Amino acid sequence: MGAYLRKLCLILCGMLLAQVAGGVEVIAHQSAGVNALTLAAARSVFGLRQNKWPDGSLVQVFVLADNHPAHIALCKERLNLFPYQLRQSWDRLVYAGMAQAPIQVASEQELIQKVASTPGAIGYAWKVKPNDSIKLIELQ
Amino acid sequence: MIRSNSSSYSKALAVFAAGWLVIPAWAQTLGEGVQAHGFVSQSLAYSSDNNVGGESDDNLASNLREVGANLSWRANPDWLFSGQLLARWAGETDHGELRLDYGFADRTLFSDGENQVGLRFGKIKNPYGFYNTTRDVAHTRPGIIMPQSIYLDRIRNFLLSAPGAATYGNHARQNMEISWSLGAVRFDADVVDLEQLFLLSDRPGNYQSDTSWLGQVMADLDGGRWRLGLTLADVNLHYQPGADLTMNARNRLTPIVLSVERNTEWYSLTGEYSQIKHDSMNTGTDPLVPLLKKPNTLETWYLQATWRPSPDWRVYLRRDEIYLDKEDKKGGLGGLGYLTFAKDWTLGTRYDFDAWTLSAELHKVQGTLWLSPLDTPLANQKENWNLLLLQAAWRF
Repeated sequence: MGAYLRKLCLILCGMLLAQVAGGVEVIAHQSAGVNALTLAAARSVFGLRQNKWPDGSLVQVFVLADNHPAHIALCKERLNLFPYQLRQSWDRLVYAGMAQAPIQVASEQELIQKVASTPGAIGYAWKVKPNDSIKLIELQ
Repeated sequence: MIRSNSSSYSKALAVFAAGWLVIPAWAQTLGEGVQAHGFVSQSLAYSSDNNVGGESDDNLASNLREVGANLSWRANPDWLFSGQLLARWAGETDHGELRLDYGFADRTLFSDGENQVGLRFGKIKNPYGFYNTTRDVAHTRPGIIMPQSIYLDRIRNFLLSAPGAATYGNHARQNMEISWSLGAVRFDADVVDLEQLFLLSDRPGNYQSDTSWLGQVMADLDGGRWRLGLTLADVNLHYQPGADLTMNARNRLTPIVLSVERNTEWYSLTGEYSQIKHDSMNTGTDPLVPLLKKPNTLETWYLQATWRPSPDWRVYLRRDEIYLDKEDKKGGLGGLGYLTFAKDWTLGTRYDFDAWTLSAELHKVQGTLWLSPLDTPLANQKENWNLLLLQAAWRF
């Protein structure tokens, strides 16, 4: 029961944070050749169905755990789908050898660092600071 | 059952041990562009009659197990190499033979960020309905066992994967994503199950595949709130009689599978419907020949409602029906018609935590079409039976 309460608390805190921070942002390495993605393209990229940027470079997807509030917010608020659907898409491709799994990191800070330091990286974060060397990707 | 020595038990155990020892994080950091993943599952079966996964008739059977591990290497943005080894135990039909589940090269031919077209060649998974490509990974299944209507385990080894080449594409458009694939393959037809189905017994010869075609198109609408799929195939097989002097056979299967899914946050409704037209061109002096030449069309469907009271829990109810001949759903056979159909109610629940999943499901079944005669000989099969399944699975 304690675990459930902690989880609930985490989700509520996340929702509160989302209100304060103004929503989760899709972020990319500074060398990404685009500033915006259509909603369908963003779903394809996070769903591992498109693995290249328009300039031909490899996309590397970084994510947080399925139950992390920022991940839930990305799915529901930005991609307009549910975390279990993204998990299903990944599993169906990864265990059939048709795509490589996204890299899961432990914290939002680590995710920002990985995206900043990995060419072709895409991810998401709430707490983007002006001096984070990443690019914000607008979803259209 | 694949015709190979089942002495590979120890090899499969080695895969199991290798899979168990690695930790999930390791899977992501194996090297530049290299990933490893794997899965293990163990099930228990208890049935009122008929055997599933060992001697489950009034007894707890534990011979239902899967172990698999894969490696993939992203050499550069255009090339991906993937391979997976798999062992499965299922009663008398699978004895843990280690097999190459898939091993192929994937070349991206065109990509502009919203459209991607590529080519896969080698031994590739056969896209058939929503689930065939990952049917051995417990986490990806809609229940402990697959809906037998569409994913008949009796022909699993045949349908799983095949050497060949396939083109594929993914296209993102406004509120829709379309994925498609078209492959030319030679199925793994040297399996006893096909002889049991087409010739009614394990005969001296063996089946082989001629070039066959498999195509699928899937549409995800509104972020997957609706998923629609169509699978078409043209499967051509012939029986190499060898020492079998009285039987020669060619069989052609032309399945069509319609797949529909509705997803919301708390529930999913999944349904698939198929018709498989079967034509036999048998010759020979065996008295069975005239009987086997009769064409038939299998009609099969299932509908599953899945409720997710929380992200970790799901409860599902499924109705699953398969008929060997859609024109004769009761089957004649002098009171043995139940050998030609199966109607199954399934009620199940599943709990996910970390990399684990625990499941339980109850089946109430009328008919025995999806039972393997290797587990329960036809003469011993009972028409009405119940089955309890429990499963633990882990993956990385």
